[in-house]
Amino acid sequence: MDAWLEFARGPLFRLSFGVMMLGLLRVLLLDLYGAWEAYRRAGDKTLPWGYIIRRTLVWFFPVNKVFKGRPFYSICSILFHIGLILVPVFLFAHIQLWESGVGISWPTLPKPVADWLTISTIVFAIALLIGRSFSRMSSFLSRKQDYLWPLLLLLPFVTGYVCANMSVSASAYQVTMLIHILSGELIFILLPFTKIAHCILLPFSQFVSCVAWRFPADTDDAVCTTLNKKGAPV
Amino acid sequence: MNRLDVFKSVLWTLTGLAVATAITRFIFGLGAVSNLSDSTPWGIWKGLNVVPGIALAAGGFVVTAVIYVLKREEFHRYAKVAVLIAFLGYLSAATALVVELGLPWLVWQPVIYWQFHSALFEVSWCVMLYLGVLLLEFLPVPLEETGWFAGLRRFLTKYKLVLVFLGIMISSLHQSSLGTLFLITPEKLHPLWYSALLPIEFLVSAIAVGPLVVILGVLVICYMYRKEADRKTLSKLAYLGFIVIVIYGVIRFVGLGVNGKLPMIFDGSWQSTVFLIEIALMLVIPIVLLGIRKLRYSQAGLAVACFSAVIGLGLDRANIAGVMLQVPGSQYYPTIYEVFVSLGIVAGAIIVFLFCVEHFKIWDVKWKDPRERPEYCPQFGLGSDVWLGSPGVTERVKYSLVFALSFALGFALMPQDRIESKGVEEITVQKARGGDTLFIDGNLDAFGTLFDHARHVDSLGQKQSCIKCHHMNVPLDKESGCWECHSSMYTANDIFRHDWHASPNGATIACDICHKPEQERQKASAKECRDCHIDLYADSTADTLDTYLAVSYVDAMHILCVDCHRGRAVADTTRVALAQCPACHTGPQPDYLKAEMADELSRPAPNHVMMPPAVLQVKEE
Repeated sequence: MDAWLEFARGPLFRLSFGVMMLGLLRVLLLDLYGAWEAYRRAGDKTLPWGYIIRRTLVWFFPVNKVFKGRPFYSICSILFHIGLILVPVFLFAHIQLWESGVGISWPTLPKPVADWLTISTIVFAIALLIGRSFSRMSSFLSRKQDYLWPLLLLLPFVTGYVCANMSVSASAYQVTMLIHILSGELIFILLPFTKIAHCILLPFSQFVSCVAWRFPADTDDAVCTTLNKKGAPV
Repeated sequence: MNRLDVFKSVLWTLTGLAVATAITRFIFGLGAVSNLSDSTPWGIWKGLNVVPGIALAAGGFVVTAVIYVLKREEFHRYAKVAVLIAFLGYLSAATALVVELGLPWLVWQPVIYWQFHSALFEVSWCVMLYLGVLLLEFLPVPLEETGWFAGLRRFLTKYKLVLVFLGIMISSLHQSSLGTLFLITPEKLHPLWYSALLPIEFLVSAIAVGPLVVILGVLVICYMYRKEADRKTLSKLAYLGFIVIVIYGVIRFVGLGVNGKLPMIFDGSWQSTVFLIEIALMLVIPIVLLGIRKLRYSQAGLAVACFSAVIGLGLDRANIAGVMLQVPGSQYYPTIYEVFVSLGIVAGAIIVFLFCVEHFKIWDVKWKDPRERPEYCPQFGLGSDVWLGSPGVTERVKYSLVFALSFALGFALMPQDRIESKGVEEITVQKARGGDTLFIDGNLDAFGTLFDHARHVDSLGQKQSCIKCHHMNVPLDKESGCWECHSSMYTANDIFRHDWHASPNGATIACDICHKPEQERQKASAKECRDCHIDLYADSTADTLDTYLAVSYVDAMHILCVDCHRGRAVADTTRVALAQCPACHTGPQPDYLKAEMADELSRPAPNHVMMPPAVLQVKEE
C-alpha cells in the first residue's frame, strides 16, 4: 500500500498536474488565438472596447446577479466555489508536500477554517446536486457529466476530511488517502477537457461573448445592404 | 492520418518530453536528469547535439560557396534551404549547449572576458559570430513573407554577398577549430580517432557531408509533401560531395598509415568495430552509391547515400567528442532523460524547419500546403460530426494536445529520488598528515597543499600565535585540528547537535539545564556553550558563537589562510606573491606521499574530481 501511495504522490501526481497545467494553458491559448484570428479577419474592426471590458468585469463578480432570478442557487454556487478553490490550494498539508518536494511554500489557511470550508463545500455541492435534479429547468439542460462532476468533486473533499479529522485504523487511513489522491488526480486530468476548464476560461469566454454580441450600432443596416434589402424592416 | 501528421506528432512528442526534462534540469540541476559528473562532464548532449550538429550544419557555407564563389547557378534554388538547415543546426547546437552548461547564465561571458589561453575561446566566438551571420542571411526570407522592416530586408539582400563571404570564412574557421579543440586530448582520445590532422579532417569531412545534408533535407521534404524532387540537380550537388568524401578518405587513411595505426583497425577491440562501422557508413556506402552514375541519379540511391553519410559523420563526431573520449576509471552511460533532450532538440529544429517550409518562400516557388488539395480536405470524424476546421486550426488543436500530453508524461517519468532536494553530498574531511610539515588534503585527492607548521609558528609569534588558527577546541581537548569541527569538505555542518545533547543516547541533558524554565525555548535565551564547556574557546576573550554551523573545510582554509596572507602581502610589497593562489597550491608533493597518492588514484573515485594523469608524475628531488 505504501508503494501505491508513493506512486500516486510521485509520478502519477506529476502526470496529472502536468496535464492540467499544460492542458489549461493550451485551451486558453487556443481560445485567445482563435479570438485574435477572428478579429484579424473581421471586416469591421470598430468595437466599443470600454463597454466590453466593463461588462466582462461585471459578469466576473457573481455577487451582482445574486438576488435577481435564483438567489438560493447563486448563494449555494458561490459558497461551493469558495471552498472548492481555497481548500486545495491553501491547505497546510498540501503546502507541506510542495515544500518537501520542490521547496516552495505560501501562506496557509488555519485548520479550523479549512475544516469548515470543506464541510461547506460538501454541503453546498449536495445542495446544488439536489437543486439540479429537482428543478425542471435545470434538469432539462443537464447532461450526464453535470451530475457526475459534483459527485467526483465531492470524493476528495470527503476522503480528505476523513483523513484529517477522524481517527481510523492505519489501513483504513491508507485506503482513504489513496482514494483522496487518485480522485484528485482524476479531476486534474479531466479538468482541461471538460466543462471544468471554465476555471481558467471564464473571464475570456465572457469577454468573447461580449465581443460577439456587441455589434456596432449600424450593423442592421450593413446586413440589409449586404443582402440587397436596403430599407427593409429588420 | 497521412505521413506528415504521423511525422509531426512524433516530433511534437519528443519535443514535449525534452521540454519537461529541460525544465526539471533548470529547476533541480544537472544531477537530477543526467549522469554527467566531474570526471565525465561531456555527455551525449555534447556528443550528439553540439559537435555533430555543427558539423551537419556545414551545408550552409558549402552550398553558398558553390553558388556564389564557383558560380554554379543551377543550385541557386537550394541556397535558402541550405542556409536554413545551417541556421537550425547551429541553433540546436547552441540550445543543447545552454541546457548542458553547468552555469548557462554565464554563457555571454566570453564576449566580455577574453581568455586567450582557452581552447574554447575561438570556438565560442565562431559559434556566436556564425550564428549571427546565418540569422542575417536567412532573415530576408521571413521578412519578405511578413512585409515587416522592408528597409532592413532590402539592405540585407543588397549586401548578401558580404554575408556569404563572412559565413564561408567564419564557418571554415570554426569547423577546423572544433578539430583543433580535440588536439589537447591525446591521452584521452582513442588513437584511431586522435590525429595531428584533426583540424583538417574536421573541415574536409564537414565540407563533404554538408551538401549531402541539404540533399537529404530536400528529399525528406519532397517525400513528406508528396512532391517530385529535382533529381538531376541534386545528383550534381551530390557529386561534389562525393569528390570531397574521397579526399577525406585519403587524408584519414594516410594519416593512420603514416602514424602506424592501420593494424589497430583489425585488432578486434570494440573500438575497432565502431571504427569499421563508421568508415562503412561515412566512406564506403556513399562512395559506392554516389560513384556509380546510375545509382546517383536514382532517388533511392541518393537518399541511402546521403543518409548513410550523415549518420556516419554524426557517429564520427560523437566518437571524438564522447564515446572514445573516456577518462580511465570513470564510466558514463546517458540516462533516458538525456536521450529525451537530445532527440527533442533535434525534433524541435525539424518542427521549425517544416514550419518555415510551409510558411515561407524557401524554394523559388512557394509550395502551397498540399493538404489544402481536395484529397487532404478535413474529413468528418468517425465519432462525432464535428468539422475540425481548416488545416491550420486542426494542426494547432492536435499538436498542442500531443505536446501537452507528452510534456506531462515526461514530467511524470522524472526520477523521484533525484528531484527530491537532498542537498550536496557530504564528503568527510580527512586529517592533515605529516609532522612539522603538514600535507593538507581533506578529500584525499592527492592535490593538497603543504603547510609548514613550524615555520608558521615561528613567523607568527611562537606560543601566543596558536589561537590564531586553533580558535576553538573540541570538548576535553587542546589545540584541536581544523578537520574536527570543519568536518565536511564543501558544506557547512552542525557542530552543536541539539538533538544529541538532549537524546538519552547522547548527553541526556534535560531541557531546563540550558533553557530557563520560565522563558521561551529559543537559542537567544539559552545558556552559553562555555558555561558548561570551559575549554571550548582557546581565547578566553573570544566572542560567543552566533551560529552552530561550522563552515566547510574549503571555506575554513580559504578564509583563515587567505585573509592572513592578504594582510601580509599588503603590508609588505615585496611579498605580493603570498596572496596569490600558487603560494599554497603548488609544488611537488613529498616523497612519502607518493605511494599513497598512486594508490589513491588507481581506484575509481566517485566522490572527487579526477585530475588528468599528466600531473601525477611527482618530481624526484
